Amino acid sequence: MAEWEPKIVSFLCNWCSYGAADLAGVGRMQYPANVRVIRIPCTGRMSPKFFLAALREGADAVWVSG
Amino acid sequence: MEYDQAVPLKYVINPDECIYLTKGKCGNCKKVCPTGAVDYDQKEETVKLNVGAVVLSPGFKPFDPSRFDNYQYSNYKNVITSLEFERILSASGPTMGHLTRISDQKEPKKIAWLQCIGSRELNKCDNGHCSAVCCMYAIKEAVIAKEHEGDDLDCAIFYMDMRTPGKDFEEYYVNAKEKKGVRFVKSRIHTIVEIPETGDLEVRYADENGDIQIEVFDMVVLSIGLEADPNTVKLSEKLGIDLTQSHFCNTSAFEPVNTSREGIFVCGAFQGPKDIPESIVDASAAATAAGQSLTAARGTETKQAEMIPELNVKGDRPRIGVFVCSCGTNIAGVVNVDAVKAYAEKLPYVEYAGNNLFSCSQDTQDKMTEIIKEKNLNRVVVAACTPKTHEGLFQETLLAAGLNKYLFEMANIRNHNAWVHKDAPELATQKAKDLVRSAVTKVALFEPLEEAELQLNQTALIIGGGLSGITTARSFAAQGFETHIIEKDAQLGGQALCLYKTTTGENVKEKIVELVDEINGNEKIHVHLNATITSVDGFVGNFKSTVDENGEAKTIEHGVAVIATGASPFMPKEYNYGKDPRIITSLDLDKKLMVEDPSLKSMNSAVFIQCVGSREKERPYCSRVCCTHSVDNALELKKRNPDMNVYIIYRDIRTYGEREYIYKEARKEGVIFICYSVDNKPVVDIKDGKLTVTVLDHILRRPLEIETDLLTLATAIIPNQNEQLAQFFKLPLNANGFFVERHAKLGPSEFATDGVFLCGLAHYPKPIPEAIGQAKAATSRAVTLLARKTIHTSGQVAKVDPMSCSSCMVCVSVCPYSAPSIAKEGRFAGKAEINPVLCKGCGLCVASCRSGAIRHNGFDNSQIFSQIFTLSQVA
Repeated sequence: MAEWEPKIVSFLCNWCSYGAADLAGVGRMQYPANVRVIRIPCTGRMSPKFFLAALREGADAVWVSG
Repeated sequence: MEYDQAVPLKYVINPDECIYLTKGKCGNCKKVCPTGAVDYDQKEETVKLNVGAVVLSPGFKPFDPSRFDNYQYSNYKNVITSLEFERILSASGPTMGHLTRISDQKEPKKIAWLQCIGSRELNKCDNGHCSAVCCMYAIKEAVIAKEHEGDDLDCAIFYMDMRTPGKDFEEYYVNAKEKKGVRFVKSRIHTIVEIPETGDLEVRYADENGDIQIEVFDMVVLSIGLEADPNTVKLSEKLGIDLTQSHFCNTSAFEPVNTSREGIFVCGAFQGPKDIPESIVDASAAATAAGQSLTAARGTETKQAEMIPELNVKGDRPRIGVFVCSCGTNIAGVVNVDAVKAYAEKLPYVEYAGNNLFSCSQDTQDKMTEIIKEKNLNRVVVAACTPKTHEGLFQETLLAAGLNKYLFEMANIRNHNAWVHKDAPELATQKAKDLVRSAVTKVALFEPLEEAELQLNQTALIIGGGLSGITTARSFAAQGFETHIIEKDAQLGGQALCLYKTTTGENVKEKIVELVDEINGNEKIHVHLNATITSVDGFVGNFKSTVDENGEAKTIEHGVAVIATGASPFMPKEYNYGKDPRIITSLDLDKKLMVEDPSLKSMNSAVFIQCVGSREKERPYCSRVCCTHSVDNALELKKRNPDMNVYIIYRDIRTYGEREYIYKEARKEGVIFICYSVDNKPVVDIKDGKLTVTVLDHILRRPLEIETDLLTLATAIIPNQNEQLAQFFKLPLNANGFFVERHAKLGPSEFATDGVFLCGLAHYPKPIPEAIGQAKAATSRAVTLLARKTIHTSGQVAKVDPMSCSSCMVCVSVCPYSAPSIAKEGRFAGKAEINPVLCKGCGLCVASCRSGAIRHNGFDNSQIFSQIFTLSQVA
């Protein structure tokens, strides 16, 4: 069996972490491809329902950064 | 391409190195360029422009240390310049941010910084000035190096005076010293010797006790200074403008961005060595100065953008177009863009999917406009780089095709994908498909959004009638805007009235009187004396402030506000201040100089004590101006009585920039400088009518008792009571009580609150030319708003559905921008409503609303959920 890879959903604040993820690209920092980013206007926008929905849709981890 | 940040970010061919241009062979770049952008026949051409003003911003030249043989920069690999060290620390630099030394790629354990390389140096080069930025950048480099390598890395900075007089700089210095463990050694290093076997560098210096120390470092960083570029000097000769001793542009204290030639302005490091915030201030100030001289011509050459009428697509079935960008090979080199395109075609509501080589190029933009029209698309997804840089550009494309600009979404398949998964092309292609699916699903739910348009009151309100305030008023009025000045005292002029002269010799009081006369005679400027603000209502473009003027309440409507409330001198309790008329403050000495007090001529001795109330626990910041002020006044005393013994007792002399020349002059004239440390302050005694100052002499290491006729305390500059004003306009204050600007580097003259601007000493202590520069800069920033009659706000804001609102007030209490309120009248009185002008679209109220009554345009629940729901689908 292949090694298990978690699916990660990240909610990134448009003003900081989303830009930081852009910069990680500019710096060509390599990281695993099993993360999917959803851009939000501010982490203040995070609703508990977003976590639950993401987990229900099969995410193994939810990462909020802002 | 010289820099990552080059504008435009395009490659150019170096004609001296190109084999095709020099030998006629190769031509490879033309063959491989997919867009045919390479043109070998382009020639330099002379273009004539008819302009009303010229702004010079040619910058500086980093000092080249290879001309100093004692540092062996050209020969020792591990001796590098500070700029090279910046590149090594940079994630996009040659070592990808990994700190290694050049000779053997070893991670260094010990690094030394040598300050003042090519600055404050007249023996081996001609740069008598202080470069003003090197102390701070050396500390920053040391701190970042320690962050990279861990606390074991030994960082030592060898300096003459630590000069950190910028806002928050002193705190950064103290933190580096006390918390980060950066070593600061007050010593100038004469030579570096390489140990040939290891490439290590031996440094020999005298420590503060005068003992010779030998230390071996892995790397030595030369903190190189800023000097005028010889090409700029040539240009200045051509333009006929005056330069200073160090070949920077000569300006006066009261017109800091005007060159000696009318119509030519200057900004940035060519005006004098300076840091980023001051350069930004200068740039805005130069724009105001140039704009002021061009007021009559404003708007005469403006081209109006053609407005394409917006198609009404509300309620139409989504017809989505997906454009997958290759970004040259940036994306296509990793991601299979054809597969992504083919996948996009099959997604629901997608009517068109195509591939672009460079989506951002002008011809592709035109092509996309045509496709949108031809295929009748009403939603667009661009799968390319990041919306942070390119959303605006593609929104323009939508507008050109007659679509509402909010019917657009980007899938970030470059920065978040191709660039970061370059070794996993299959997974990256899979991820690109997922990101496109997510964007398509979201965009299908988008509705056209409206932007609130509001009329702008073209009046400015300035709070504070000091030098900064009146300079601002003068600039506003000169550009044709009505201006009100609110001054709490009975006269204009502020603290500047207490100053004797500027370092460049201008009489301050005379100039202020002249300026105040001009203000009083200007019908566009309305002066309110003995006045304070009692309340502020409204927001950008439409403020309504109530002013108490001589006990009478007045209401002023204005579109913008400038905070120029200044600062005050600190009144010390130490050094026996107030107990003897011979112990005075710097401003008291200025008064004596102004009235030509005859006692100044007969005194035998005068002492200055620096940093009184500054750079201490209670007030950790440096007051920036006091060193220069005391040195200048010491010279004045010497001028009046050359036999007088003048002593300046200091911690670090901070005569930054070309002020260094007066420090040098003072030493030449025989002013004696004695260094003290904060834990061993000088002691002032009054005994039997004798005034004495006792200080530990830093060279003799013995207490020195000086009997003096005059003791001047260089006291701190403290901010005025700003709390209430800060509350009125919702502005932040820092721990020291100064206002906090929008951005420490890039937005020094404005606030995060729209429509409110900042200048002068309310921002931070600064000398007259810098205060005037910032006053003009604040005007410049404000005029970008005032010059418009209307302003548009973002469409991506929160909106209340009053039918679901339960009036719980949570939105009102959580909003940091005071956008929600409870409607007082109308059909939905008692329910929440959100002012779209104040709303920044953060969504805090949306997430907090327990009734689900707040919708979020562009980031609504349904839209974010739709993205989450696409996660479990498989491409």
